[in-house]
Amino acid sequence: MSALREFFDDIVADTDAVFLFAPSASLYQSFEDDDTDVVVIAAENTIDAQRFVELPLEFTDLAGRVRFGVEGALDQEFVEEDATVVCIADVFGDSPDSVVRINVGEFSASGVYDLFVNSRAEPSVIRDVLDVAVELGKKGQKGKPVGALFVVGDAGKVMNKSRPLSYNPFEKSHVHVGDPIVNVMLKEFSRLDGAFVISDAGKIVSAYRYLEPSAEGVDIPKGLGARHMAAGAVTRDTNAIAIVLSESDGLVRAFKGGELILEVDPEEY
Amino acid sequence: MQFDWPELIRKLFSQEAAFAVSVAILVIGVLLAYLVWRYTHYLLRDAGVGEAVEGTPFERTAQRFGTSTVGLIATLAAVFVYLGAIILALNVSQLFRDTSFWSRFVTFLPNLFVAVFALIVGLIAGDKAKLSVSEKLRSVKLPQAELLPTLVKYSIVFLALLVALGQLGVATAALLILLAAYAFGLVFLCGLAFKHLLSAGAAGLYLVLTQPYSIGDEVRINDQQGIVQEVDIFVTHIESDGEEYIVPNNRVFTAGVVRIRS
Repeated sequence: MSALREFFDDIVADTDAVFLFAPSASLYQSFEDDDTDVVVIAAENTIDAQRFVELPLEFTDLAGRVRFGVEGALDQEFVEEDATVVCIADVFGDSPDSVVRINVGEFSASGVYDLFVNSRAEPSVIRDVLDVAVELGKKGQKGKPVGALFVVGDAGKVMNKSRPLSYNPFEKSHVHVGDPIVNVMLKEFSRLDGAFVISDAGKIVSAYRYLEPSAEGVDIPKGLGARHMAAGAVTRDTNAIAIVLSESDGLVRAFKGGELILEVDPEEY
Repeated sequence: MQFDWPELIRKLFSQEAAFAVSVAILVIGVLLAYLVWRYTHYLLRDAGVGEAVEGTPFERTAQRFGTSTVGLIATLAAVFVYLGAIILALNVSQLFRDTSFWSRFVTFLPNLFVAVFALIVGLIAGDKAKLSVSEKLRSVKLPQAELLPTLVKYSIVFLALLVALGQLGVATAALLILLAAYAFGLVFLCGLAFKHLLSAGAAGLYLVLTQPYSIGDEVRINDQQGIVQEVDIFVTHIESDGEEYIVPNNRVFTAGVVRIRS
């Protein structure tokens, strides 16, 4: 067993900080007593940790979770840019069972954390829209796969850079994403073509919008359709972010600043 | 009506029989007290009182003495029932000649019970209110804000104390005046402090319901011109190149809105 122990010692050697993805109070306390820098990364700060990064959605894969955690910790300056961190996570159960070593310097930021925290819209609104898109992707409309495009935040500018395809079903309504009725409504309206426009505070401003941004200089992967191109372009032209459910491959993608930031498979939730 | 009973029993039976009846009353009193205790326990537990009071300092104090709030109230009810039985029995057996004291005590008993009960409820409600207010204010890390939960707690305890003292017949006129002054001050100060917020809210209600302008419109309010980004109950967000004006809704009303169509 000594070879295994040596290998493990190598993994945890010279670490600057510990990222705790499975917050247990006793583990946290033992690190704190040991004068190790601990950053807790979870959906909720249940143990009152001083350094905390909130996870806005349940990442199914460890890589996504670690990525978000590292970017969050960097943004809040919990760790230096050339630090070496060890992540302790729960992958198969509720107790910590995995240890991952990461060199923050060799790590290229994807902007997931930036997407949630530093966008115009509130993080909870972005999370709710993502939830709706994932839900829609899972069930489709009456069993058939549907596509949808949500533009979140900076609604005034988005409205000015788009035109109605028909009457706005949300005119004079006060529906916010996250209201229980919204899932059903959006599911029905997703049959219509065009984009949903959602304000910073989560109010659904309009459905059925035809976006007219200039698509110049938008760099999204080849093979994605007009809906994704429109999403990428509108986020370049305004300060909004866009969340797209693809009709052809069923993936949910998020765009910010004209770039693809996040890709989620609804089936994995 | 109740006080005719001992008289009636003493008239009907001999001195010994009256004594036997009073012993029976005592036994029935014990049984009744036990039933009341059990029933109150069940009732309170079913109503979820146990969980509701959990974590309050009162409950913690009760637990330190090996009981709980539910147990305390149930025991209280039982003790009062038993006290009533003892007094009835004493009256029947005429062990004490001076009945006027006991009859007065019997009339006083329910008041005493209500007073103690009101005090317990007041203490728990105060603790509970304090907890929930401080929970709400947890994100506000100001030393001044920590005063508020305590103030809320003692306001409620003060009210409960007033009710309890009123039940016991203690002169509470001075305390009532204090309460009136306090309530008046609270209403007056709140009215003063929330004046703008209230008028903005009233104006916002109209704006949200009728939507004279909506998100994406270009408007001018006073000298601030831009695209409407958000309309909520209290404020309207207007944005022009790199500047976002957050305009209180009452100003929208007093100054009027210019919608720019071009």
